[in-house]
Parts: sequence; structure tokens; C-alpha cells
Amino acid sequence: MSSSVVVCTWDQGRHGAPAGAEETLTLARALAASAGLELNWLVAGPVPDRVPEIAGKYGVVHLDRIEDPKLAEFRPDVCVEALAQYCKQQSPKLVLVPQTFDARLVAPCLAARTGAGVVMNALELAVEGATVKVTASAYGGDTRVVYELTGAESCVVGVLADMLFAEATEGGASAPVVRQVLVDLGAVEERVRVIQKAHFEGPRLEEAQVIVAGGMGLGTKENFQLIEALAEALGGMAAASRPAVENGFVDSSRQVGLTGKITRPALYVGAGISGASQHMVGCAAAKTIVAINKNPDAAIFRYARFGIVGDAMEILPEITKAVKGA
Amino acid sequence: MKIVVCVKEVLDPDAVDNYVLVGKLEIGEDGKTLTQKAIPRLMNGYDEQAIECALKLRDAGIDCEIHVVAVASDPTKILQHAVAMGADEVAAIPVDTGTVDGYATASLLAGFVKSLGGADMVLCGRQASDGDQAVVPAFLGTMLEMPVVTIARAVEMVGGSTARVTRVTPDGDEIVEVPCPAVITISNEIGDPRYPTGLRTMKARKVKPRQVPPDSLDLGEGGGQPRVTMTRQSMASITGSCEFIQGGSPAATAQDLVKRLRDERVIE
Repeated sequence: MSSSVVVCTWDQGRHGAPAGAEETLTLARALAASAGLELNWLVAGPVPDRVPEIAGKYGVVHLDRIEDPKLAEFRPDVCVEALAQYCKQQSPKLVLVPQTFDARLVAPCLAARTGAGVVMNALELAVEGATVKVTASAYGGDTRVVYELTGAESCVVGVLADMLFAEATEGGASAPVVRQVLVDLGAVEERVRVIQKAHFEGPRLEEAQVIVAGGMGLGTKENFQLIEALAEALGGMAAASRPAVENGFVDSSRQVGLTGKITRPALYVGAGISGASQHMVGCAAAKTIVAINKNPDAAIFRYARFGIVGDAMEILPEITKAVKGA
Repeated sequence: MKIVVCVKEVLDPDAVDNYVLVGKLEIGEDGKTLTQKAIPRLMNGYDEQAIECALKLRDAGIDCEIHVVAVASDPTKILQHAVAMGADEVAAIPVDTGTVDGYATASLLAGFVKSLGGADMVLCGRQASDGDQAVVPAFLGTMLEMPVVTIARAVEMVGGSTARVTRVTPDGDEIVEVPCPAVITISNEIGDPRYPTGLRTMKARKVKPRQVPPDSLDLGEGGGQPRVTMTRQSMASITGSCEFIQGGSPAATAQDLVKRLRDERVIE
């Protein structure tokens, strides 16, 4: 049996660290310690600034690097090929990837290439004897399911890092051994050609400390201004539920939920949002949730710290006023 | 152009959500199967949108042969719905879905596509609303040696055998071109699936899906066997302790809330 757990990242992330790396390393380290596996970190492509420091903080044994001009910018076919060759050389028992948008494609493609099992949306991991158990979110966050690795030697796991917390080792930093891993990407041709890149400027919902979100309870697009006004007063960002986005209240870059953004602000105000699990999965990790809804039985109150039963159109402007009145 | 749309039968996610919220979701003796009979079984919403995508290509004037396939013990109803929407051929691969994972499901679907002599395009929903795993399309693409493009809001054909796909990414829309055959996954942004007329629905009820036994398919090496097995399912716990701020006018309630948020240092 192979004896390592490897965290794989390839994106530059922001602030010098790949997205979700620390949360995923937290999970990987606990697993490595309990199951006697070696914890390694593979960075495919350019290494973001803070990687060596973070690797030390989480007790990474080997910091593996794959350098190749073809990895300068993320492209799926090249990335999967590089990771597949790495797995062939190193035979890790578990391959953990922080579940970014691109990882949603890369992780199952990698499993398909290497003969591994795959589980996405993972929240917990355990190795019990020869059994690997992965606890994952299902039904848009409504249920938790446990998958066991039954028909493969290794498993690729997409980790829902946005819903987990990062915790560095207590013992202080160690220095990982850097290894250059050689792969041959000469033969791989990217099959999908990008004609127009996605381009995003400005603040990101995923990084916002305060989010004010509106749902169908607002009734009309015009009323969404009440959301924007409060967001501005609080120095935060406006967001919306999927139905509100589909009805054109605001564009899809502001959609919170399973198929939108997973956020974790200090304060999340949800107005006119019923709180279906598919929405709440995108904000349940907020420190404080304030819910405003006409229906006292609305699901969102079950997640909220503070609730106001009432008409969002009447209450939102008053909250804005009260905030500004300081 | 031959299009294969892969669809899954799921429990109505909204009904599941409602049962979870009242803490009354029933899980069977096996510790994993949701057993409430009152929860309707539907076609996965994103898969319905994948059919809609195929129909949109036909609407755009492309000569399309649309096959819809499902892996389930008896997906007759959802396949009849596919016919009512406009599918030309429907096929069922009868398998107890409790015994397969994404890999085994993809093996069956890949075997099915091969049995048709291949396809020019394979469409799937971006994920299933039950498992949320979204791994079948990637396996399928690898098995069929087709490129995979995920999370599309629009698909159009340019120059005969190239698809131009608009993907919904966290950074906004990305436009890519991919040579066909390709696997493409469809997101809700493509728009609501068309609602079949009563007449079409009535007619479709008479259609019997073609039954494709798993052992008639080329499943590749190790194909039929799952690599992961779901062993448990439980309700997620919701840990809120909501304090309702009430009484008084909207203005008084708002002031009370803001005071509380300041007291707890949530805001400045």
C-alpha cells in the first residue's frame, strides 16, 4: 500500500497562496498523523510566494514541484497530465485538492486517468485500517454522506475548503524538503481553446467581510436597491439568491450558493431569502447571520443569529438609516 | 448531428430540503437510503436543461438526432418526459443505482454511446441535485476520449464540427471552442427547459424506452465495478440559535438590531 497523502494545487490564488490550501492541508495533516501517512504537497506550475512558509506551518514533509512552461497558466488537459504522471511515480494513497472551480473538472479527470476513486464536496476524512472513509455534503448541504473506497487503491478527494477552517501545527514551523518532480508534457495538446477569457475586476464576494443579500421576497429588481444601499452603508457587498439572479435583480457574479459563490463573511444579512439549503451552503459559514423574512417559519431563521419577522422593504431602509446614524 | 443527453432520476431536492428543515427526513434501515414515499422522483433539473440545450441546437437549424439515456431501475417516467420535450430516442439502462458510483455509471453511459457507434456531442447536467458529485462527465470524457467542457450557459456550432461554448465561471463568462465529439455539461443559466404541451405529454406516455441490458454493453476493463461506495447518509445539523428582534416599529426594530450588532462587535 502506498503511504502518502498529497495535497495538489496549481492555481496562484490571491495573497500568495493557492485558494483553500491551508484548510485542505489542515485536513490532510490530521489524516496523515492518524493513519501514519506522509504529508506531501505538490505544486504544479509557478509556486505562489507564501507556499514554502505555509508548507512549514502545516508539517509538510516534501514540497514537490513540477515546473514546465506549459503549466504557466492553468489549462485542464496539461494540468491533468502533469498530476497523472506525478501519481504514477509517487502512488499516493490519497490525493486532496481544494475544491476550486477548476478542481471540479481536474479531480474527476485525474481519477479517470489514474484508476482512482473520487469523492467531491468532502468535509471529513478518515483511514480506518485498510478503509478510507470520506464524509461529503449532498443534497445541496441537506445531508452528509459517507463514501468508502471499495474498488480502487487510491482516492482523489475534492475538499470543500470554503466550509472548513485552517489550523496550523502547534509545534511551530518545520522545513519541508523540496523535490523537483520530472514529468514529460511534450505530447499533451490542449483540446479546448479559449476564445475569450473570463475577466473580473473589483471586490470579490468570496473575500467580503460584510454581505447583504436579497431574494425573491424583494419582489422587484427596483427593490434590490435597498440591498445595495445597506451593503454600502455597512461597507460590504450586495449579493443575491439564485432565483433573484435568474430574475435579473443582479448579475450572476453576485450569486451566493451551491452553484454560485461560497462565502464566509463576518456578517451576512439575508433579506427576503427563504433559506433553501442550496443557498445556505454559500453562507452558512458566516460568523453572524441576520435574517429578515415575512414568514416566521422561513428556513433561514434556523441558521440565523438574529431574526426579524417582517417586510424587508420596510425594515431594510431603517437598518440603513440606523447604521448611518452612528 | 447525433447528440446523447445523459439524465438522472433524483428525489425532488426541494422536498428533501423541506423534510430536513423540519427534522423529519427518513433514512432506511440500510442507514443511507432516503425512504419517504411522499418525495417525488424527477428528472435532475440540470439534465432537463441539457435536453433543452440539445433542442436549442435543433431550433438553431442544426439537423439533430437526440438520444436521451438514463441509468436507473425504472426511468420510464423521466424518459417519457424527455420524449415530450422533443427527444427522438430514449433508452434505459436498468441498474439499481444503489450499486453504482460515478465511475460505474460513466462506464455504462460510455458503453451506451459506443453501442450507438459514437456521438457528435454528449450533454450532461452540470451536477445531480442528489449527490452533487459532478464526476460522471469527466469519467465519460476520459473513457470516450472526448474533451470535457463544464458549466455551459450557451452552446452553438461553428463551422460544422466545432462547438463554441460559453462557460459560467466565478470570474464571469469564458468562451471556448472545442472540436466535436465533446462532452459538455449544462448549467441553469441556459434558461428554463421548455414545458411540453398536454398533447405531447399524452403521446409520450405511450412511449416505451428501449431497454439496454448492462451486460450487452462494452464496459471496458473493470467497468461495471464501483470504486467508491456510499455507506451512510444522515441529515446535516443546522446550528443556529436565532434570537428574534421584535416589537415596535420597523425603525425601532432596526435600531435594536444595529445596537445588538455593535454590542457584539459584529459591526463598528
